[in-house]
Amino acid sequence: MKKSVIALALALATLPSLAVTSIKATVNGMVCSFCAQGIEKRISSMPAAKAVFVDLKKKTVAIEAKEGQTLDGNAITAEITDAGYDVVKLETVQKSVEEIKSEVRARK
Amino acid sequence: MSRRFRNKVLACLGFLACALALPAFCGPMGFKESWMVMGDFSPHWQEAFVNYALTPRDALGASTLYMRSDDERKSRQLEDVTYTRLLKRWNLPQAQANIWFLGGLGYVTGNDFVGYKPMASPGVQVDYETTRVYASATARLYRADGINHDFTSARLGFSFYEVDYDETQPWLVFEARRMTGLTNRTEVTPMLRLIHNRYFLELGVSNSAQGRINFMYIF
Repeated sequence: MKKSVIALALALATLPSLAVTSIKATVNGMVCSFCAQGIEKRISSMPAAKAVFVDLKKKTVAIEAKEGQTLDGNAITAEITDAGYDVVKLETVQKSVEEIKSEVRARK
Repeated sequence: MSRRFRNKVLACLGFLACALALPAFCGPMGFKESWMVMGDFSPHWQEAFVNYALTPRDALGASTLYMRSDDERKSRQLEDVTYTRLLKRWNLPQAQANIWFLGGLGYVTGNDFVGYKPMASPGVQVDYETTRVYASATARLYRADGINHDFTSARLGFSFYEVDYDETQPWLVFEARRMTGLTNRTEVTPMLRLIHNRYFLELGVSNSAQGRINFMYIF
């Protein structure tokens, strides 16, 4: 019994590290999908990026990390800046890009 | 200056620039380390243009341009290397505004003179865009010894509705342009614009009953 409790505790302790992590950026100036291609292309090529979602209306760029990898917020900001836009807010969320996409679209 | 007031001022500047008839497309260059291919084709004006963005603000390229007068008696062929510079950008919460420098150096040939002449084509473009409204104005000089084909244009358009990032967005865009020494009238062209990811297409017919197709592609 004691061993089972310890095993369960260890399993629960490792859950956060297994959770999906994404960075959600709020970006000013992002009004045209043609012009915003740079964001998607540049961020998709980052080694730790698994998926990218762009929403013009909500000014949102969401990037999901590959399992076991960490996204670099500064590098993401630099890429968005190089694509020609301004990052006004950057937050790390324990959600997948698909979840963020569903949330954003549900709010429209 | 409050943000709201600044946004209103920028919006007014964009529309004012159009009203004053200061041409062109969206932005005349892509993102850093990207290639942009552009084309603008009608019977009197045929232009193909490619550039490469060295930095987020600077692009080098090459273009070829064929111009013809209304009476079809005079024609020009310009080949030049181009430099595009983003002079200023305002990234606003729901809009973007830009001032661009457009420059070209090359040579021009024509059917009313022998040989070729060096030609310079400096210009400026201002634009303002939201997810529903687009306005731009361009003025560009096309000058060579004894030749002046200065070009001005203004564009104003709106999208029918907003779309998701990966959907095709249709726009209706009106362009008015004048070309010195080639036409005495202002050419007005209503165009259907379609934007889908890295594809940009415009189709229209001018008040001279001439068809027109514009396209851009980024890679």
